[in-house]
Amino acid sequence: MIDSQTPLPGTPMQDLDTPCLVIDLDALDRNMDVIADYYRDRPSKLRGHSKNHKTPAIALRQIRRGGTIGGVCAAKVAEAEVMVHGGVPSVFITSEVVGDLKISRLCSLAGQAEVMVACDSPDNARALSQEAAAQGVDLGVVIEVETGLKRCGVQEIAQGVALAHEIASLPGVSFRGIMSHQVISAMPDREDRVTEGNRVIKGVIDLKDAIVDSGLPVEIVSTGETWSYDVAGEIPGVTEIQGGSYLLMETHYDYMTEFSYAAKVLTTVISTPRPGIAIGDAGTRAVSTLRGMPEVDGRPGVAVEAMDGDHAVFKLSDGATLNVGDQLLLIPSQQDAMVSRWDRFVGLRDGKVEAVWDIQARGCHN
Amino acid sequence: MERPIFQPVGTPVEELDTPALVVDLDLMERNIQTYQGYFAGTSATVRPVLTSHLCPQVARRQLAAPGSRGVAVTTVGEAEVFVAAGFDDVLLSNQVVTASKIRRLCGLATQANIGVAVDSSANVAQLSEAAAAAGVELGVLVEIEAGMGRCGVSPDAEAVALARAVNDAEGLNFRGIMATVPGPTGDDPQDHARQTRQNLQVALGGKDLMESAGLTVSEVSVGGAHCHAAAGELPGITEVRAGRYPLMDVRLQAHLPELSLAAMVLSTVISRPVDDMAVLDAGHKATGPDHGRPVIQGHPGATAARFSAEHGVVELEAGAGEALVPGRKATLAPWELASCVNQYDYIRAVRGGKLEGYWPLSARGRFA
Repeated sequence: MIDSQTPLPGTPMQDLDTPCLVIDLDALDRNMDVIADYYRDRPSKLRGHSKNHKTPAIALRQIRRGGTIGGVCAAKVAEAEVMVHGGVPSVFITSEVVGDLKISRLCSLAGQAEVMVACDSPDNARALSQEAAAQGVDLGVVIEVETGLKRCGVQEIAQGVALAHEIASLPGVSFRGIMSHQVISAMPDREDRVTEGNRVIKGVIDLKDAIVDSGLPVEIVSTGETWSYDVAGEIPGVTEIQGGSYLLMETHYDYMTEFSYAAKVLTTVISTPRPGIAIGDAGTRAVSTLRGMPEVDGRPGVAVEAMDGDHAVFKLSDGATLNVGDQLLLIPSQQDAMVSRWDRFVGLRDGKVEAVWDIQARGCHN
Repeated sequence: MERPIFQPVGTPVEELDTPALVVDLDLMERNIQTYQGYFAGTSATVRPVLTSHLCPQVARRQLAAPGSRGVAVTTVGEAEVFVAAGFDDVLLSNQVVTASKIRRLCGLATQANIGVAVDSSANVAQLSEAAAAAGVELGVLVEIEAGMGRCGVSPDAEAVALARAVNDAEGLNFRGIMATVPGPTGDDPQDHARQTRQNLQVALGGKDLMESAGLTVSEVSVGGAHCHAAAGELPGITEVRAGRYPLMDVRLQAHLPELSLAAMVLSTVISRPVDDMAVLDAGHKATGPDHGRPVIQGHPGATAARFSAEHGVVELEAGAGEALVPGRKATLAPWELASCVNQYDYIRAVRGGKLEGYWPLSARGRFA
């Protein structure tokens, strides 16, 4: 496909048409190295969540740099397909997969790579087993346990133990372990994160112990995310951490100061209609405001006051000025909501284009 | 890109893989007839805003029905897609200020009748220089600020000077005025009508000033689907830019209840972990709830309450949502159409409950 929107390597940032989703490659590599250094000598490893960047090139870059289990998490079957086709050897789908069509695609993928999927009900386990056995593949199944997210997952330990035995008895599927996912609102103090992380992950470890006591081995205990990567990593028994936001970063995690903002939207001022106000060419369709307005990178006195679909309204204070044609970088409040609206990342180093990566799993909702 | 599981034409909608953006064609066609019919007997027409749905197939049906003329988009990238798809009268209802994009715009003007909005004399000079150098003519509308707090000039001497600058510039054709007026707020319909009429009068004030100064204002283009009634009453308005009326969303339906919700996100229940909650496979990435949460259809006592990235959590009152068990489908009406469509690559076009085709959202992601 001819695509006028793919810039050549070496193009200076100021020549990019905007809005444009850019990655600061130095920041990206630094973030990858924090993870590689942290997990290098630990028994647990990162299984990075590919739902955040949706890009095999980025998944493989972290795997090469280290700290990972050698595979990724994905949220959807279609995302997992893109990762497997892109060369990732092991994918764990951290959502329940329901419906004959999707289970059929899931099992086909299990014939091409190591594939595991989350499960929270015996009916679903039997549906997975039936199709996996019919296709003659081995599908890994991981039980999701509820630890405070109030979403999917088995609710009680006895339920989890029974489901583990059910899965272990079924053809075509292997019981591989357990998982849980937690989301917290801003928790800037590390001591709070340690306390909260230990509290919620204890629920996962309790289920693991109960399943082991009942006579079944539990190979995988997958839990933890960006906010708890260095909490879950310290807890004995945890084998994999599902972090994803750390890579591209967002203002929501501004207290995780070891990570740098890597993904930003480049925007251009298209109008300065009234004193103290400027209008930019990026709006909610390009950025997402689900967790609040983006921040303006490195421009004191310039703040995003409002956004509609295709415009940002910048408010100027403390003597700040903007002219039509000026470029600004917006730091997202939530990176994966932003990334899922774009078809490519433009990777920059020293202000010039170094790499352009197609966001191959964008739109892979199914 | 989306990776839809192929399902043949004729597949019943309840068997479609999910999440999927589904459009009921009968409802869409009726919405187009109804809305564009409001303009019969008035001096105004509808200019369909394609940014709202990004789909050439929908746009063709809007232009095929009476009452419409030309199309509007928001970005150069969208204009490129629709010119390539054969649309020959495209208004870019926004400012285009960088050299690279102005060059792309002039490239389009060799193939189609292109209009663009301006709100500064420096921009007029840029556009004129590029159009003259490329040997093309760009249609230009002066944007008047009419309540959005966004781009545009006030309807005063500055607006007249700007119009004159366009009129005198090489390569530019001064067409008139463009304004966008805010959507209704609050619950009182008479209040809405009054607000809208006041905002539209602001734009028309600019026209009067320009005409008194001897300029010919052949177009007054106002944006917002809710402008249709006022536009019929204010003869100076030549067109209403509207985009959501074919597919609709919950937000606009509150003010245009005679139109039907034709676009839905089809999703599947993937977990029913406790009695008072069902979890759907459609989260914010599949619904785009930036401006408001989608509304679940057909399950009294069920509320689509929380959207994380890939999960939608439906809260259920006691005894509600009996049918919402894993594997069953649920339908969500988008709160705001453009943010929802923005997440997909295809519309599943459905008629009489059966799949009729996959319609590409060709302009999706063309933000630049």
